[in-house]
Amino acid sequence: MAILEASHIVKIYGDIKEERTTQALNEISLSINKGEFIAIMGASGSGKTTLLNILSGLDKPTSGEVTIAGEKINEISRNQLALFRRQQLGFVFQDFNLLDSLTVKENMMLPMILEKKTTEDINQKVQELAALFGIENILDKYPYQISGGQQQRTAVSRALVNNPSIILADEPTGNLDSASSADIMECFETIVENSSAAILLVTHDIFAASYCQKVVFIKDGAIHSSIVRENSREEFAQLIMAELSVLGGRRDVF
Amino acid sequence: MSFSRIVWKMAKANYKKYIFYYLCNTFAVMFFFIFSTIYFNRQVDEVKISGSIQYLLIIPGVTLVLFTILFISYAHQIFIKQRRSEFGLFITLGMTDRDIVKLVLLESTVIGLLSLTSGIIGGMIFSKGIFFLLMYSVGIGKVAFHLSSNMFLYTVVIFIIIFMIAIGRSLYLIFTQNVITNIKSKKTAAALEKNSPVIGGIGAAFVILSIIGVYFTYAYLSFGGELLYFWAICTILGVYISLNQFISLFIEYVRKKETYYYPRMLFLTNINYKFKHLTTILTLVISLVMVTVLYGTLNLSIYSIEKKEVLENKPYDIAFLQTETKNNLDQETVYSIIDQEDNRIQEYLQIPVYTHYERWEADNSPVSYSFMPAESFRELTSKSFELESDEMLYYINFEFENSELDKYYWDNAARFAEENLDFNLKEIIAENDMNVIGDGAFFIINHLEFEQLENQFDGYKSVIHQINVEDWRESEEATDKLEEAFQAFNKETPPIMDERTEGLTEEEFFKVGSKIKAFQSIKIENGISFFVMTALSIIFFFGSFILLYLNLFSEIENEKEKYRKLHAIGITDEEVKQNITKEIRAIFFMPAIIGVILAFGYFISMMRDIGGIMANPGLLLYFSGIAIVYLLVQFIFYMYARKKIIHKLM
Repeated sequence: MAILEASHIVKIYGDIKEERTTQALNEISLSINKGEFIAIMGASGSGKTTLLNILSGLDKPTSGEVTIAGEKINEISRNQLALFRRQQLGFVFQDFNLLDSLTVKENMMLPMILEKKTTEDINQKVQELAALFGIENILDKYPYQISGGQQQRTAVSRALVNNPSIILADEPTGNLDSASSADIMECFETIVENSSAAILLVTHDIFAASYCQKVVFIKDGAIHSSIVRENSREEFAQLIMAELSVLGGRRDVF
Repeated sequence: MSFSRIVWKMAKANYKKYIFYYLCNTFAVMFFFIFSTIYFNRQVDEVKISGSIQYLLIIPGVTLVLFTILFISYAHQIFIKQRRSEFGLFITLGMTDRDIVKLVLLESTVIGLLSLTSGIIGGMIFSKGIFFLLMYSVGIGKVAFHLSSNMFLYTVVIFIIIFMIAIGRSLYLIFTQNVITNIKSKKTAAALEKNSPVIGGIGAAFVILSIIGVYFTYAYLSFGGELLYFWAICTILGVYISLNQFISLFIEYVRKKETYYYPRMLFLTNINYKFKHLTTILTLVISLVMVTVLYGTLNLSIYSIEKKEVLENKPYDIAFLQTETKNNLDQETVYSIIDQEDNRIQEYLQIPVYTHYERWEADNSPVSYSFMPAESFRELTSKSFELESDEMLYYINFEFENSELDKYYWDNAARFAEENLDFNLKEIIAENDMNVIGDGAFFIINHLEFEQLENQFDGYKSVIHQINVEDWRESEEATDKLEEAFQAFNKETPPIMDERTEGLTEEEFFKVGSKIKAFQSIKIENGISFFVMTALSIIFFFGSFILLYLNLFSEIENEKEKYRKLHAIGITDEEVKQNITKEIRAIFFMPAIIGVILAFGYFISMMRDIGGIMANPGLLLYFSGIAIVYLLVQFIFYMYARKKIIHKLM
């Protein structure tokens, strides 16, 4: 069953009546099922992040509609959308988006606190996720006291606390070194294995994308192609690279 | 594009930061200048030398200097925090230390001079406004706005000193920290240091000890009021230390109570962060609130105490002394002057008195002994008693809290009585029944004996007149006319050149005493201190508001960023609003409430010299009144700030 359904998404920046408009997204349709792990790739400016913002309700499409868990998100109010976001969506950002004045533990439980969960539930969930992602011993540290990889693991845990049906990640490895990137991608693999949540990530990191089950390529605001992983990660990475060279029109990458 | 062009471009892009810094400095200069226009005002200065106003100005003075110091360094700190990361970048791009110093000095000089100029101009305008407003609303014609070189000198010198120290400090920081720390200075600011309960405790002890100190300073004012400087500094320092430590300690403690802490986590951690970073500002605000509430109350209290004294020490509305040759208008004339259609005479007492003078052996100065017939005394006091021909009462026209004092009066009179009088003392009565005219104490004797006195001693006959009218407030014109009539009469009679007018002019001796005149003279005397304190309250109120407001707005970019992050993880607008409201409420009212509590401590201590607060419970009412008014006005400002900030953030 599709958890996320996007149909004919169009996004145009600027005033449509005037001539100076930019079409960021052009008739994109996409569907993600439970337990799927998908990457969206494309060159800078291809509309990846715009797509993600629209899928998560942070931005509104010019036309088209997005349905998540049966709810049409462009029809609900800003406040309901916020509630929906924290109940159904987990968000992971390139710059981690942690609050500096809160400890790792406090950052993790923030969405649960907003949801008014009980103290027991909160503590249990935090312990569970901290153990899963190996951050138990930094729970009382502040974001500026820990490494980027640890910060992103904290952010991933935070995205999971309310058991979302889908996790959206915007360049989650963009600010990380390769070891930390591997760490985070393994975290995502763990999530897909352990829960029914789907993951959609936007990235231009071939290494990160190779962890996914499927990669969708977009170019100039439209879906260009997609490939599905069938064999090992290394082979999949080769495929992605090949596809990217077609996409970029350049074959002499190396 | 040359390097200096890049620097100039960056400055233009960051113009908001410069404007913030400039405004902060301007405000600091402005407040200081307004205070100096009051402190160095000619009329205020006259009162300062003679009266208690000098002590009253100590605490606001200290607060204001600390205010200026902390305010300027705070503004500088914020400004340089942002600049440091830029300087770090400039240094990595190849700018030399010399260039940096040049740049800092140039910037600072320009901003400093601009702030000084606009601060002084703003100060002049505001000060003139305050003087104008108060002169017309309070009706004190005596205090006029003027400028003097001292006002400028002190403002300029103090500002330049503080400003230079602030610049020196930041230059030191830029060159002693490495480039990376400089570049990252914006980020590392979020780091919180460890707290210590011991240091927090020391801070609290400072505050409590300083209030006890004020109590003893006022109980034994001979210690010297200079100590008040010390106590004021102690309190402010103590508040600073405990604020810096206690909120964090409190939160550390609360963290363990998870069911309480979790739902309030966002609010508490934000408040902790703010209090940590705004310790200086909050300390200042607390001091300003304290001074405002305290001085408002003292102002009202002093006025009401003196008013009470006037009304109590003058049971009659008009009183004068009459002898054969002086003030001797017949009763009809006196009536025609005082008894007005809309202000009738209610009571008219005429008390015959016989006064005998002797000389002190020590310095040959005259001492008087006055007699009053029992009949008149009965009439005056409505007491029913009979005096035999060999009995007397000793009447002292004062009310003493301490009965030792009537003994002292009597001891003096007893020596005379023993040597010259043949009466047995029946009772000593000390109570304030009439206005003090002539002597303050009398031998009360049988009227037959009274008639005989002139055969026994040399002395002067006189009559004390005590008059009550319907409304003493309306008696001014009548009093003036009576005084004129007496002066005209007295001019025609030969001047008195005997013991009675030794050390006192005849005019003073026969002056008409009245409630209305005494009341007015107090109004004028108090008017100046009233003026000074009201002006200070206004300055301080606005000072504290501007501080809170500026500081909330200086953080607005960080706040926006925070709420952007929270929005992304699904916080609703309603929740954002609630959060902002809670935070602003804490920031506006926490210092106000702490300030009021401290003011209360100071107030209780300062009341020591008028017999303690228990002796004057009405003053508590003034205190509560002023505190409530302060909090109400603060509430209005809070609503305004809240609206503005929510608007900016959402």
